[in-house]
Amino acid sequence: MKTLEVFDPAMCCSSGVCGVEVDPLLAQFASDLKWAEEKGVQVSRHNLGQEPQAFASNPAVVKEMEAGMDRLPVIVVNGHIASTGMYPTRQQLAQKLGIPSHTLDAMAVKAAPCCSPKSGCC
Amino acid sequence: MTLPTAHTRYLFFTGKGGVGKTSLSCAMGLSMAEAGRKVLIVSTDPASNLDEVLGVTLGQRPTAIPTVKGLFALNIDPEASAREYRERMVAPYRGVLPAAAIASMEEQFSGACTVEIAAFDEFSKLLGQPQATAEFDHVIFDTAPTGHTLRLLTLPSAWSEFIASSDSGASCLGPLAGLEKQKSLYAATVERLCDPASTAVILVSRPDTSALREAERTRVELVELGVSNLQLAINGLFSTDHTDDPIASAMMQRADAAMAAVPAGLNKLPRTLTPFLPLGTVGLWALRLMVHPDTASVAVTNDNATTPLPGPLSALVEEIAKAGHGVIMAMGKGGVGKTTVAAAIALALAKRGFPVHLSTTDPAAHVDAAVGESIALLAVSRIDPATEIALYTVEVLAKAGSNLDTNGRAMLEEDLRSPCTEEIAVFRAFARAVDAGKEGFVVLDTAPTGHTILLLDAAESYHREVLRTQGDMPEAVRRLLPRLRDPDYTKVLIVTLPEATPVHEAERLQADLARAKIQPFAWVINQSLLASGTRNPLLAQRGNYEIPFIRRVADEFSSRCALIPWLPEPPIGAKGLAQLTD
Repeated sequence: MKTLEVFDPAMCCSSGVCGVEVDPLLAQFASDLKWAEEKGVQVSRHNLGQEPQAFASNPAVVKEMEAGMDRLPVIVVNGHIASTGMYPTRQQLAQKLGIPSHTLDAMAVKAAPCCSPKSGCC
Repeated sequence: MTLPTAHTRYLFFTGKGGVGKTSLSCAMGLSMAEAGRKVLIVSTDPASNLDEVLGVTLGQRPTAIPTVKGLFALNIDPEASAREYRERMVAPYRGVLPAAAIASMEEQFSGACTVEIAAFDEFSKLLGQPQATAEFDHVIFDTAPTGHTLRLLTLPSAWSEFIASSDSGASCLGPLAGLEKQKSLYAATVERLCDPASTAVILVSRPDTSALREAERTRVELVELGVSNLQLAINGLFSTDHTDDPIASAMMQRADAAMAAVPAGLNKLPRTLTPFLPLGTVGLWALRLMVHPDTASVAVTNDNATTPLPGPLSALVEEIAKAGHGVIMAMGKGGVGKTTVAAAIALALAKRGFPVHLSTTDPAAHVDAAVGESIALLAVSRIDPATEIALYTVEVLAKAGSNLDTNGRAMLEEDLRSPCTEEIAVFRAFARAVDAGKEGFVVLDTAPTGHTILLLDAAESYHREVLRTQGDMPEAVRRLLPRLRDPDYTKVLIVTLPEATPVHEAERLQADLARAKIQPFAWVINQSLLASGTRNPLLAQRGNYEIPFIRRVADEFSSRCALIPWLPEPPIGAKGLAQLTD
């Protein structure tokens, strides 16, 4: 089974609504994870503020954080780091997970370029 | 003199700040202990003065009160609990995760929600787990001012619902890792609150129309929460045989009128009355007088002690008017008259020809009632959390919701239902109101102390957040904290009463503001009997009791100070308010 792990920076909600301004990218990403799950991917998401244990027990992720907190979010696909410091789009996720692109729903996959993950949350 | 009585194991006192919740809960605890019961008094107010009233330094564990067998007390300081909680969550990862990661975790646990949760957590340990207080026959909660109390009490059911209805993992409750595990404890807490056989809630009010209205509001909300064992305690009822004094007769008439018009719902509750005490209730001896009034020998004195009195409010208005614009914030504990002072200043500025916006963040807004009629140049508005949340929700969904599929939208909506959305939404409205001060005058009547501090705290973390954000931050939010700190832009007035507790509270508020680098412009002492010119012996005695408090404020705490006398004509409506500044 394909696995997708997301190591988020410390933030209190995954959609970013509790930040000063809502981050559309985060809301989109949360929705994309749900989509991946529906395609049979085992998705787990860890927030540094809530589940530090998940970070501590993954040496590769700790190493990334040592290099700089801006490496978060770390996206791990099938146990290997697939991307750091950004939330991939649904198309990128599909590619990394090897989900055939024709299964992408006919929907706008827009990434809002202005938001860094750190702008997100309270 | 009758003190409230109840046979339930848990007792709650609730009411507007300054109505005497702490005094009554301590007097009741004392009287129960004297009757051979083992009693624990608990305060959950972040600005509690339980220590002061009992004359003992309290902590987070029950402390025996010397000389009173069977009486114990403890103070839950939610901020200290939040710190402990944060440490518990973060400590295991020190040295395991990089320092930057630890710092970012700590930041997460420094927010307003963490303080609320930590307080509630402590509170439910006492209420939800009977064994925690098993050695006591009664546990009396001297709860925080009404707004805070309600929040504290509504949280469990709100969150129970939130947890139950969240199918994608309640994300915004994140800082409370393990909240789900606490669910049964919180449920037990709610259940106990609603069980009339184990819990009684005593609504405390002064014999005063606005305090009674507040108590009725609380009653309705408690009934909606399912709390049914309620009683009413009227504290400080004044009566006199000497009706020749205009102040005394006005005070008696006002109390009589308020008592004749007790809202219907409150009127049906069992009721106790405690009389006006000229000497306050700080210290065990004063509490003993409350419990055994027959032993009191009231030394009546007709000597009106003399002390130089601070100037009138009009002098402050004069100085404020010179700037031509800016924000005036009346701050202080609930019940000291912030709304009255804010409305009087707003009115006086409008009369001088300035456009003025009067706005309140007080959940129990009485601004409209205080002004009474529409005045040219004066606009009155209320920051209403429900409205602000609705606006924010619409804005967020419009901005971020359009790209989302059904699932994504459902998750976003779920997050918008979380408790911190309210903080954010209200905060934005507050920032907007402050922004309007660059053109005309904005007068803000802020919410009670604890809430105000949270608001400023929120402002501070926003401020820090802003520095890192490239996103499209509203200009008003970005400029808020620098504006609050600019004495030419923002003038903070600390409003207090010439009594022990309110002055002590105000002093704490000033210290809190200083930590946020905000210097108050002036202090306003409201409702002084000393300045009222009363000749009634009981009231004159009370007036003399005010002197040390007036001196401390005028000589030690403030750079500018104004004194408002107790007014026989109530400060309601344009004419009534004008008395304060004419």
